[in-house]
Amino acid sequence: MQGIGSKEQGTGRSLRLLAAAVLVCGALQAQQIDMGAKKPAGRDHVELLSDAVDVAAGKTQDVELRFRVDPGFHINSHTPMDEFLIPTKLTLDGAGVKVVSEEYPAGVKFKLPIGEGTILDVYQGEFRVMLRVVAPKGATTLSGMLRYQACDNAACFPPRTLGVKVTVNGR
Amino acid sequence: MVRRIAVLAAVFVVIGGLFWAGWYNHHQRQLAMQRVQDRITTLTKNSPEEANSGAPDGMGDTLKGKVAPGFTLVDLNGKKVSLAQFKGHPVVVNFWATWCGPCKLEMPWFEEMNQKYKDKGLVILGLSQDTGTDVAEIAKSAKKIGVTYEILQPDDNIAKLYGGVDYLPETFYVDGKGMIAVTSAGAPTKDEIEANVKKIL
Repeated sequence: MQGIGSKEQGTGRSLRLLAAAVLVCGALQAQQIDMGAKKPAGRDHVELLSDAVDVAAGKTQDVELRFRVDPGFHINSHTPMDEFLIPTKLTLDGAGVKVVSEEYPAGVKFKLPIGEGTILDVYQGEFRVMLRVVAPKGATTLSGMLRYQACDNAACFPPRTLGVKVTVNGR
Repeated sequence: MVRRIAVLAAVFVVIGGLFWAGWYNHHQRQLAMQRVQDRITTLTKNSPEEANSGAPDGMGDTLKGKVAPGFTLVDLNGKKVSLAQFKGHPVVVNFWATWCGPCKLEMPWFEEMNQKYKDKGLVILGLSQDTGTDVAEIAKSAKKIGVTYEILQPDDNIAKLYGGVDYLPETFYVDGKGMIAVTSAGAPTKDEIEANVKKIL
């Protein structure tokens, strides 16, 4: 009886070990999948986060367009402090959704760490452009372009334009 | 007994799998980190020190030790200026733009080098990358920065000859024999600029 009990205990331990190993394997595999799913930073350095918004049809509504600048980079705000710097500007098509007004966020002060440096007015991380729109009933595409110019602490990339397409659902 | 052996065999297989998964995951992490590192060194220069650490990337770096591509451009007064006319002189070819903050911070240092090493024949050429910008605006910006050396009007074809110049500033230090001795991407420190200049004097 003792022999059988000890054999059963041994088998039980083995099964528990097997179960633990399977769980650990599963965890490792899950971590790996998570790594693979990370989106690499784009060369454009700015991305549009908004893709669809719901508004009341036929009424003037506030809509936020959310953008994100890659970590380590900045773009000039809509009102840079130097006349030669290129401001961030959104140009929207008039078709479909009527855009009544655009409001850009205030930039943050950023000192370029070169020599004595210079103070810039920039957007970093996430920033939001507020629009007042009147949308018809149903789904309409709000489209346009965001013009900006990105730099990091020591170098700048040429001015770029980012296509903007957001579905506005008028309900 | 057979059942016990089977269970033990299964345990060994799973433990083997566990080691394999661990190694594979570690390997993939190393590759992912390498890719991220490559991207950082390829596309961003987060500090002047990093910007000037090692050689710049891209095709521009492949020009180091080679003959500087020749060009003829037009200065802000409409006069033709070619690299060939400075044969025998050490020449700094600096790509910049009016919209580039780091460029405008390093340019006064090039002006300082221009004044300091003029007697040794040093020539500084500032190649504007402001395609489509009015010449008067480029001149206004150069004046505001305070540079007196030659500022040349943009021509995208010249940037292509120098490896595309994907971002600014990029600088090529050309010795008296017309060879590119040093390439630099991103704004370095003033001391690094002077050290590079001394290499071509």
